[in-house]
Amino acid sequence: MDRLERLINLMAALLEADRPLDRAELRRRVSGYEGEGEEVDDATFRRMFERDKDALRQMGVPLVIEPIDPQRPDSAEGYRIPRERYELPDPGLDPEELAALRLAASAVSVGEETGGTTTATAALWKLGGGVENPSAFLAALPGSEYLGLLFGAVAERRTVRFPYQGRTRTVDPWTLSCRAGKWYLSGFDRDRQDDRMFRLDRMDAAPEPFGPAGSFERPSSGGGPPPPPWLLGDEERLVAELLVDAGQAALAAAEAAVHGQVEHRPDGSVILRLPVTSRAGFRSFVFGFLDHAEVLGPPELRRDVVEWLNGLAS
Amino acid sequence: MPRTSAEDRLRRLLAVVPWVAAHDGPTVDEVCARFDLSEAELLADLDLLWLCGLYPYTPDVLVEVDIADGRVWIRYADFFRRPLRLTAAEGLALLSVGATLLAVPGADRDGPLARGLTKLASVLGVEPHETVEVELGPASADVLAKMHTGVAEHRQLEIDYYSFGRDDRTVRVIDPRRVFNAAGQWYVEGFCHRAGGNRLFRVDRVHRAALLESTFDPRDAPESGVSLYSPRSDDPVVTLELAPRASWVADHYPVEGVESGPDGGLRVTMRISEQAWLERLLLRLGPDAVVVEGDPDLARAVANRLLARYRLSDAATSNPGSTLASP
Repeated sequence: MDRLERLINLMAALLEADRPLDRAELRRRVSGYEGEGEEVDDATFRRMFERDKDALRQMGVPLVIEPIDPQRPDSAEGYRIPRERYELPDPGLDPEELAALRLAASAVSVGEETGGTTTATAALWKLGGGVENPSAFLAALPGSEYLGLLFGAVAERRTVRFPYQGRTRTVDPWTLSCRAGKWYLSGFDRDRQDDRMFRLDRMDAAPEPFGPAGSFERPSSGGGPPPPPWLLGDEERLVAELLVDAGQAALAAAEAAVHGQVEHRPDGSVILRLPVTSRAGFRSFVFGFLDHAEVLGPPELRRDVVEWLNGLAS
Repeated sequence: MPRTSAEDRLRRLLAVVPWVAAHDGPTVDEVCARFDLSEAELLADLDLLWLCGLYPYTPDVLVEVDIADGRVWIRYADFFRRPLRLTAAEGLALLSVGATLLAVPGADRDGPLARGLTKLASVLGVEPHETVEVELGPASADVLAKMHTGVAEHRQLEIDYYSFGRDDRTVRVIDPRRVFNAAGQWYVEGFCHRAGGNRLFRVDRVHRAALLESTFDPRDAPESGVSLYSPRSDDPVVTLELAPRASWVADHYPVEGVESGPDGGLRVTMRISEQAWLERLLLRLGPDAVVVEGDPDLARAVANRLLARYRLSDAATSNPGSTLASP
């Protein structure tokens, strides 16, 4: 018998059951566990059943183990798929909206998924597929093995723990953002009692959600674009004054406009006023202009850049 | 037909069954198009489905599948009346591809995509447009629109371009072949008539773009597929010793060789076509990088060039706060 057929029968039995079914019942009631003609021995059955359970859980099927008699928690345990946790609530997408999502899924890649079925495509099937519009590839986002896990924690509002730069962080996860080809998690760092951002590719191990769902409130509208490199730190906040020559002024102003102020000068140059919480991030930005830019102040930041350069020049 | 695992087939079937059951005899073609199936794959899955059902597998508890006149009906599959919930990874994937298109300059933020994402976010239990954010990097909507028009209509563009690698501005004519975003930056790829070859241009470094009346034949494309940074074999070789903190360089840029270096660091060999690019890297890495092959004075020279500017303005204002050391 085809394994797919057995899996379908197993799911049908578990979804329709009005009480948890134990292993022996499943073996008897699910076509595919009893061989046709040939005998399936206990060890083989167990192996098949374990493999099937894993396959369903991998797929996201909520396969639960519960006492068969709810009145007696110590009674034998059985399996069930609770409908209310299995079924996708209908988001009520109209054909135009579904087509727009389908277009997005074909124009944008997330991670290294190439060829075959991407995660976004598999998700669209559940929503009814949608008819493909030919579209040119447009954008590639990086992937991260922690994205799904962290999104789950964001959606369920569960606190996560992960090792980061030599310390274990305990964070209420709020937002995942992708900027300049990197994924970041922003949230509330419980130890530091403040908002923080963490780069996913710098997490030293998989984040671990713990505690119950709904254990914090997300701040409403933390929205807006994610911060630039010079704000990706937790140093004392300083407002930098950066002079950029006319040749680079337009590019500099475009990059800085969202996060700071831009003063245009008659000779075409600009002065950017930028809040800075990461000196390393700020230096990288400044050095991108080579000798077409100069940090005017405050003295601490100007000194930081000059000392860095002195270190290289000596 | 490529062999697909039982898991992959099941995943798709769990979406196909409720959709077909909820529609009155959709055509086989439509089902295949919606769910990215070939007709043979769909028929093989349906062939199996009508053997499935509930104990004791008598006809009254089996799924019913009918195929007639190119249409398909599925009945008595009530256990699969709704698709399986989206997994967290699937939810994230859809919200992020959607957020990406909405981040394209000029995107319709009240259009069907934005509405669809809002509905989707509500079944996922998150606020729309707040839990997943994508920033595609700076680009002028006007320049980007001209690039797209150039690609679509095969029209040449004249661009005033800042070459970051050479720290130099030039006006050039290009045949734009495609526009895309990668690693958070917008690029246009095309044939550059000034350089006489295929080049990648960062859209944010285009100061001005003008669509020309002249067209090009897209079939004339020389071999495409310029990489984001494509070293040429005659570019000079540079070897850097990187401190452990700077080992990200080996992951970020194409390197010809990586070996372990002293003190747990790395020794990387790269081909550098543009000196200004290397200057920025050395400025940024500071004490974490040492040039061991190539111009050993490059970092010192560029640092002095920048310092000269600071000295000049210190002298002009006789800034008492100056901390400049004498060279």
